[in-house]
Amino acid sequence: MEPIIQVNQLAKSFKVYRDHKGYFGALINLFDRKYDLIKAVDKISFKIYPGELVGYIGPNGAGKSTTIKMLTGLLVPTAGELTVNGYIPWKERKDYVKDIGAVFGQRTTLWWDLPLTDSFDLLKRIYEIPDETFSKNYNLFREILALDEFMKIPVRGLSLGQRMRADLCAAFLHNPSLVFLDEPTIGLDVVAKQRIREFITYINQEKHTTILLTTHDISDISKLCERVLIIDHGKILFNGKLDALLSEFGGKRILSVDFAEHYPEPLLDGAQIIQRNGNKVIYSFERKTISASKLINQLSSKYRISDLEVRDQPIEDTIRRIYEERLLYNHSYGKENPPS
Amino acid sequence: MRRSLSLLFRLLRIQIRSQLQYPTSFILEVIGNTVVMGSFFVVFALTLSRFENIGGWTLGEVAFIWGITEFSFGMMDMVFSGFDYDAFGPMVRKGQFDQLLLRPVNITLQVLGSRFVLRNLGKIMEGLIIFLYGLSQIEAHWTVFKVLYIPILSISQVLFFGSLFIIGATTTFWTMERLEILNIFTYGGSEIMSYPMHIFPRAIRLVFTFLVPAIFLSYFPTVFILGKTDPLNAPEFTAFLAPFVGIAMLLIALRFWRFGVRNYQSTGS
Repeated sequence: MEPIIQVNQLAKSFKVYRDHKGYFGALINLFDRKYDLIKAVDKISFKIYPGELVGYIGPNGAGKSTTIKMLTGLLVPTAGELTVNGYIPWKERKDYVKDIGAVFGQRTTLWWDLPLTDSFDLLKRIYEIPDETFSKNYNLFREILALDEFMKIPVRGLSLGQRMRADLCAAFLHNPSLVFLDEPTIGLDVVAKQRIREFITYINQEKHTTILLTTHDISDISKLCERVLIIDHGKILFNGKLDALLSEFGGKRILSVDFAEHYPEPLLDGAQIIQRNGNKVIYSFERKTISASKLINQLSSKYRISDLEVRDQPIEDTIRRIYEERLLYNHSYGKENPPS
Repeated sequence: MRRSLSLLFRLLRIQIRSQLQYPTSFILEVIGNTVVMGSFFVVFALTLSRFENIGGWTLGEVAFIWGITEFSFGMMDMVFSGFDYDAFGPMVRKGQFDQLLLRPVNITLQVLGSRFVLRNLGKIMEGLIIFLYGLSQIEAHWTVFKVLYIPILSISQVLFFGSLFIIGATTTFWTMERLEILNIFTYGGSEIMSYPMHIFPRAIRLVFTFLVPAIFLSYFPTVFILGKTDPLNAPEFTAFLAPFVGIAMLLIALRFWRFGVRNYQSTGS
């Protein structure tokens, strides 16, 4: 299958001017401007195939927005190649944007002063959506996203969650083959997040829309995306399945055991006791060194137990650890595109 | 193109409808604007009553040139609201312009349709009233050509002011902030065009002849229509350049605008 997004050695640098300080600083700036070249995106390459739902994550300032803006044609790359849907986004803007959708969580694509019904009607005309397609999508999205309660309210009067639902609806109305979602759940409560995730999953499965999702919220990724790209300091650090990443870096797992009787020193091979509280003992073990089932076998053959529980470290913790300890640097893991 | 235009009209219609949501308050606002703007002319008229005329022009004659300029500027301010750089600058800064670029429609039409300030009807009405007052006071040799030339002149002025707005909007791509200096040409230009221009110092006249060719859009044509003698001794054909100047300015402005859009780059965040 041909990839829908093809990015090859893509780079973008920004000039950041260093201003002279002091009384005459502004004047000197006119004649002598020094600048630093910031590599926001530093020679990244990846491919995305039709129908994929890919998560694009990384800490603040990692280069996510810059990438998305190049992909949508709002920024011209400094170097490298980029084709989406067969177009070079910034060169063929008007034709290219017909078949894509985009939601930027921080700002709306809708008309601020108009009720939603008017906004959607305008979009129908802008994208020349056939009546049948429009009413089918419109009715469907209205129901899934529960838009009816605020259809008549101007966008400026909507809550953040309502606005985001409306924006999502707007981005998918014209059946785009590819949609960019930039922080679609930012600042939303749990219920609103859930509704939006359900919508995204539904669209991806039913309409096979390719979706590139940028987010800070790791739970978005773990619930929605098969594949993730991790970017930091302008470089792609990881490209592959989230599970693979977690089993590599998931680190410690937690085993908590309630013993049926008191043991002074209930030792287990391959696990350390990290906490004791009466008959309740908590062990930690490495995913790589021993499996949970072996540990439990060992446990039940040596001791009498009444209850046990195995927990993973929360995904958020793992990802945070990957960012903070820069675990992916100098690591060849996951640099290649997975075969599709 | 036809599709884009029908989309533009739809955008404008929806905005007009939303601005007319509270009709009483809207009408009061328009009337208020008419009175406030008109008061400037009343003050001018009271001052002039002490001197009989200004540079050889009577109150009625000044009302003619003043009214037509106000009317055209009001029209332009309504039609070209989207390019008003006071509104367009923030639009670029807040990333709303990016959103327009993500839609498969001509960007110029989208900006044109992004804003339509209907309450400018106040200024338009005010201009019209002053213009009609001027007409009632003057005795000109009316010919069919002169009567037809008045609306052509007004349209040319709309294009002229609109071009200045477009140029102003384009500069915000680079500056992000509005450039105060441009107000000299837009708002200052419309002030200067409201008076018989020979009363101004030579330096100002030169600026508004060669840098911004405002004089061709008000003074020269009015001299012709009213049959005044021109102390500047400009050749007669200068009276008829208004539509050409208006169209040329628009073409230049649009070219600059397209250059700006082509070179526009969003921010990295």
